[in-house]
Amino acid sequence: MKTIIEPFRIKSVEPIRMTTQEQRETVLREAGFNLFLVRATDVIIDLLTDSGTGAMSSEQWAGIMRGDESYAGADSFYRFQERIRELTGFEHILPTHQGRASERILFELVGGPGKVIPNNTHFDTTRANVEHSGAAAVDLPIAEAADPACLHPFKGNMDVAALERLIADVGRERIPLVMVTITNNSGGGQPVSLENLRAVRAVCDRHGLPLFLDACRFAENAFLIKRREPGQAGRSVREIVLEMFGLADGATISAKKDGLANIGGLLLLRDETLLHRASNLLILTEGFITYGGLAGRDLEAMAQGFKEVVHEDYLAYRIRSVEYVGERLAAAGIPIMQPPGGHAIYIDAAALCPHIPREQFPGQAVVCGLYRIGGVRTVEIGSVMFGTETPPGSNRRDARSPARLELVRLAMPRRVYTQSHMDYVVEVCCELGSSRRELRGLRMVNEPPVLRHFTARFEEV
Amino acid sequence: MQRRSWAEPFKIKVVEHLRMTTRAERERAIVEAGYNTFLLRSDDVYIDLLTDSGTSAMSDRQWAGMMLGDEAYAGSANFYHLESAVREFYGYKHVIPTHQGRGAEHILSRSCIKPGDFVPGNMYFTTTRVHQELAGGQFVDVIIDQAHDPGSEFAFKGNVDLDKLARLIERVGARRIPYLALHATVNMAGGQPISMANAREVSALCRRHGIKVFLDATRAVENCYFIKTREPEYADRSLAEILRELCSYTDGCTMSGKKDCLVNIGGFLAVNDDDLADAARNMVVIYEGLHTYGGLAGRDMEAMAIGIHESVQYDHMHARIGQVQYLGEIIEREGVPIVRPIGGHGIFLNALEFLPNMPREQFPAQALAAALYVDSGVRAMERGAVSAGRDPETGKNSFPQLELVRLTIPRRVYTQAHMDVTAESVVALYQQRARIVGLRFTYEPKHLRFFQARFGPVEGDRVLRDQDPP
Repeated sequence: MKTIIEPFRIKSVEPIRMTTQEQRETVLREAGFNLFLVRATDVIIDLLTDSGTGAMSSEQWAGIMRGDESYAGADSFYRFQERIRELTGFEHILPTHQGRASERILFELVGGPGKVIPNNTHFDTTRANVEHSGAAAVDLPIAEAADPACLHPFKGNMDVAALERLIADVGRERIPLVMVTITNNSGGGQPVSLENLRAVRAVCDRHGLPLFLDACRFAENAFLIKRREPGQAGRSVREIVLEMFGLADGATISAKKDGLANIGGLLLLRDETLLHRASNLLILTEGFITYGGLAGRDLEAMAQGFKEVVHEDYLAYRIRSVEYVGERLAAAGIPIMQPPGGHAIYIDAAALCPHIPREQFPGQAVVCGLYRIGGVRTVEIGSVMFGTETPPGSNRRDARSPARLELVRLAMPRRVYTQSHMDYVVEVCCELGSSRRELRGLRMVNEPPVLRHFTARFEEV
Repeated sequence: MQRRSWAEPFKIKVVEHLRMTTRAERERAIVEAGYNTFLLRSDDVYIDLLTDSGTSAMSDRQWAGMMLGDEAYAGSANFYHLESAVREFYGYKHVIPTHQGRGAEHILSRSCIKPGDFVPGNMYFTTTRVHQELAGGQFVDVIIDQAHDPGSEFAFKGNVDLDKLARLIERVGARRIPYLALHATVNMAGGQPISMANAREVSALCRRHGIKVFLDATRAVENCYFIKTREPEYADRSLAEILRELCSYTDGCTMSGKKDCLVNIGGFLAVNDDDLADAARNMVVIYEGLHTYGGLAGRDMEAMAIGIHESVQYDHMHARIGQVQYLGEIIEREGVPIVRPIGGHGIFLNALEFLPNMPREQFPAQALAAALYVDSGVRAMERGAVSAGRDPETGKNSFPQLELVRLTIPRRVYTQAHMDVTAESVVALYQQRARIVGLRFTYEPKHLRFFQARFGPVEGDRVLRDQDPP
């Protein structure tokens, strides 16, 4: 059978408000051509992010009702802790209100001026937290990652030779830790192979460096390992997950992705000294160590979500539904990042709109076009988001260097949209594809100092 | 006969089971917790009066709102509902949600305080002061002296002492004072309110010197109830009207929605200044989340918006504060020393009078809280020397005038019978107070030590003996 049906049925629905193209044109102008500034009620299909936008299961909602809201020592915390220990093998688990809080705590402790953090590719908030601490964020993806059409199965891999060179260049004492993002979100939701993780681990061991995972989409990564990596097909996803975490000394996780929760995050640590310092910072800025700035019910929802996400029927459905959109777009001649990643399809906007120069943000133009045509909200992952990329090994921000790739991400919320919604999205993309010559570039008229893509405003050129 | 009952303006819709424990089980549990009630498992607690923060029961309307959560990453409908509720009831122009109150304090401190600045306030609060210090500021207590006297009957013991404030301005200059932190009510003083007259005068003095005033609005509606019942010209005004006037004397507020707003998680920063709002929005996206969700699920913003509407209902607040008064009056009738007058969110036992022979170095409030748990499974919180920490300059223990045990009442959670059990335990313990043994640190964290510190008895191996000592 070719059809992958959802391994669930619908228990609760949320109405979608329809809008006309004229209404959307007005909305777009009011929002300064930045979809982050559009009200959710003005969106038909919201593919802005898969973060916190998933549908919880009835078991998770039951957990929500079961939440123990005691300030200290809540039952819900101990259930959560037990589940995460089982899943990851980590002993020390700190809850946080979401992933960027875990990153902030980690980099406030290990970052600082003069420090260098290598990563296969930093995500936007990770980069912001690293740089905010005064450290430099260095991306070391493999060369294949730069070619959207290349069919390498693990385009999320870190360039191990480049890591060795970086360590030789800047010295190990300036590198507090090596980070690997699984899956590699900014690089197209591409997985990292176990082989690559082991190789990075070996480099870390040779130089006495800790390895940390940015593990937001660990389950999707593990499933893609099972599917694509030689010798892994016979293992369960849970085994692969345990091995991945077993290779690391710590991890930051946003539970809003593979935790199948609407809010929540985790910081996993092995080092006791670091744990003590992280706990103190957690209490000050997030909340007491047994709630970390979350309601007790959110700990319950996470505990159940982290159990559901490693079900292989769920992962088969999840990965297949993303692939489905990718296959249809590719068949229609829309250039996308190949092969499709775990949580999103990335349209190659530079290839789709060669007539728009990179200074005029072709990705943002496509994002606006998709919204105008069909009320579909997507996000630019290109020069708007990463146009201020730091050159390797340096702390200098050059506002004029464009990003490596001009991508538009169609992020799929988990368990929210049906195949009919996806068919509609494909139609909207195809319509944009056939009228792409009409798309106009944009100029940034208001640029905030940090994470500019969230609140910047644009005008059409 | 005058009717004075405070019966709850609601009925119970969902219940949560409690586990009863034996004294032997509790003795084991308190040892495991290092005699620190923060480290007890909630499963081992019968009546949990550790805090009123995030522990309240939501209404059926709030739970319905939870199902209306719009979890869109940007522009969630729930944000706009929250924004309009804050604008309507608190009256500030810009609203920035945060995951809880300390998120708002963090952003306010980082945006406004420069190294070398002074931040006056009507008594310190633990997390607030650490945020001010980490930003390079120094907290200066400008509360009236009566606040430090547990026996004083003054109606507004939270008031700012205008002379102290004026002297500070004279001493360091207004330019080194970025803002005054105005707490309403004052938690560490025993939930004591400030008067409207005081807020008005503080505001006038600060505005004359160009100093901003930020309200810690966490329990501001409870404060408004005291203004209504104790400040004659406000007797006929609604809580909502009083709240708007109180906020009008300030330039913004930090809010932990986990108290007045009747939610389990959530907070916000609200300000009138456009530039400060811009700076705060740029910062919230790094620490908390995009400015239309601030690190909260959409459903939590919805629950907070509905909670704000419910919090200003007179019947709600009358029952809320009535329940606290009820517990306090029983305890007081039996001669147990408490902070007077009874405050808004809890009863504060005066440990120095409760245990007059115990040296302060043995942390009488910490010992009393541990003994109360052993006696009945009631969990309370130390608010004295352990919470105050060490003097940053001398490194010695600070011994604040108030050495208290706080019995904090969650909103809409416990019944009159639970209050009776609590009162019985406190009274029984008072009669056997000679059996309580002092404590010493076995582990002491550097910052906010009260959360994770561990203790042991100064003699023997129990905090509550079976018999009076010979």
